[in-house]
Amino acid sequence: MQKITITRLVVMLFVLTLLASGCAKKAVQEEGTNDTTTQTQEVQEQQPADVSDTSVVDNSAYDAAAAARAAERAAAQGLVQIHFDFDQYVLTDDAKSTLVGNAGLLRAAPAVKVLIEGHCDERGSDEYNLALGEKRALATKNYLVSLGVAAERLAIISYGEEKPVDPAHTKEAWAKNRRADFKVKR
Amino acid sequence: MKLLRVKLLLLFVVLLVPSLSLAARIEISAPGEQTIPLALTRLLPMGVGGSQPAIAREFLQVLEGDLELSGLFDLVDPASFMGDADKLGLRRTEIDFYQWRMLGAEALIKGGYRRDGDRLTIELRLYDVITQRLLSGRRYAGKAKAVRKIAHTFADQILKSLTGEKGPFATKIAYISKRSGNKELYMMDVDGHQPVRLTNHRSIVLNPDFSPNRKELIFTSYRNDNPDLFRKEVYTGRESRVSLKPGLNIGGRYSPDGREIALTLSKDKNSEIYLIGTDGTIHRRLTNHYGIDVDPSWSPRGDKIAFVSDRRGNPNVFIVDVRSRDVTRLTYEGKYNATPAWSPKGDRIAFSRLDEGVFNIFTIRPDGTDERQVTFGDGSKEHPRWSPDGRFLVYSLDRRGSGKSIWVMRADGTGARQISPLGENDSHPAWSDRW
Repeated sequence: MQKITITRLVVMLFVLTLLASGCAKKAVQEEGTNDTTTQTQEVQEQQPADVSDTSVVDNSAYDAAAAARAAERAAAQGLVQIHFDFDQYVLTDDAKSTLVGNAGLLRAAPAVKVLIEGHCDERGSDEYNLALGEKRALATKNYLVSLGVAAERLAIISYGEEKPVDPAHTKEAWAKNRRADFKVKR
Repeated sequence: MKLLRVKLLLLFVVLLVPSLSLAARIEISAPGEQTIPLALTRLLPMGVGGSQPAIAREFLQVLEGDLELSGLFDLVDPASFMGDADKLGLRRTEIDFYQWRMLGAEALIKGGYRRDGDRLTIELRLYDVITQRLLSGRRYAGKAKAVRKIAHTFADQILKSLTGEKGPFATKIAYISKRSGNKELYMMDVDGHQPVRLTNHRSIVLNPDFSPNRKELIFTSYRNDNPDLFRKEVYTGRESRVSLKPGLNIGGRYSPDGREIALTLSKDKNSEIYLIGTDGTIHRRLTNHYGIDVDPSWSPRGDKIAFVSDRRGNPNVFIVDVRSRDVTRLTYEGKYNATPAWSPKGDRIAFSRLDEGVFNIFTIRPDGTDERQVTFGDGSKEHPRWSPDGRFLVYSLDRRGSGKSIWVMRADGTGARQISPLGENDSHPAWSDRW
């Protein structure tokens, strides 16, 4: 757990750095193009090898896109599932701290949309578990929204007990299966 | 049961007085309590078609299975049969009732078959041995492959002749099976034969319900990436989405008149019980509580709906009045009560209770009294649903390790038998009305 948290912090720092540099250069780009867009383009065509304003514009665009892509990648890989107690949809303290990390990743990658899947263990009735899974997904969504993630980016679905990660009939398997998963949509 | 007893007596008194009849000596009060000694003979070939032992064998096997499940009969050992069993004579005057009386039989089934190309005719007689009276005479005609159906139909008729109420054996059971790898909708005979797959969604299909008097099913499927309610015509295969609100569209149950569907919707971010039309338009919202409300089941009169809610903490069965929307609590025992099913006679509600990690099936009166546990032992028994005559319950049994299969038992929990094979993960049975 500790290791995961550190890795995630490193990833987030990297993303934030990239993003910060991206934003700064973007400002330059806007200044440059605001004057005369056509001129810049001419220069570009006539002197493609010349590294000047144009070059910076290109680089900054590249950096912003790369930063966004990196942030999206970080979100896609870094979002961590959370777990629930039996017949409960209240977020545990563990789940909340995991969601703080997830919210950071999502805020850093504003283009990323996420489907939150609510799941249950095999105990309990199927229909009840479908409703319970939805409540888990919704509680997860609401907490992420409270941490500053735009609600429109977060869709929910419940699979009840239909998609266990561990099909065993043990306490350990049940604990793993009572969860909310995050599926990144592009 | 008392009502049945009175009915039985009346029926027999009306039918069979003044002769000393079956009913005068036998009260079919409850399955297993007192049974009728019945001689079931093998079908004999009639006329030109010649002998087709396979037909006679399959017919006997199906009819025997149904009669055993009914719990109303004690079959006389065929090894003890005398000469009359090998004589085709079906008429009263042709039968040697004395032989059957000697064997202790009080009811006798004789019959013959004729195969003419693909056409099969089966003639059947049910006699009261003591009074030598014909209780039922039937001639069935159909294609050769209809043997099983004819046997089930005659079993229904036997129950009608002896109890006044038809059996449920010529009906169908819909269920969910994972044998293809995905959960899909299937349908089979009441004895588990002739399973057919009805959907090919390659997604997750859940919780079917038969339309009353129509060969149509509703169920939930994730085919369009949301648990939507679908409708399917069994024979044409025609299929459409009935309810596709964002969130859950689950647990659909046709009203007894078939005009409305009760189901759980969560379009407002919380699961509630609604009534919708068969076109999917919302008619009424029946519950309004922040807790979970799922699993509706109609009373046969259509005036009340049992459902599951955690509004008092743990999941329990509640009843909502469809008109007033007043909610009353039905179950108080146990910590987890779910999947209620109201009996077609209205006298009892079956449900499953989770206790120490295992579900068992219970029944209770709709006023909350007389709760009885009807299943015991290993494995979780879930999703009880009644046969259309209220005599039987179908359910799924989960034996950890070997998966789920479908079972049928009498409503008092006796006579349980497995009807779908292990290893296919079959669940969520629903019993059709009479077809």
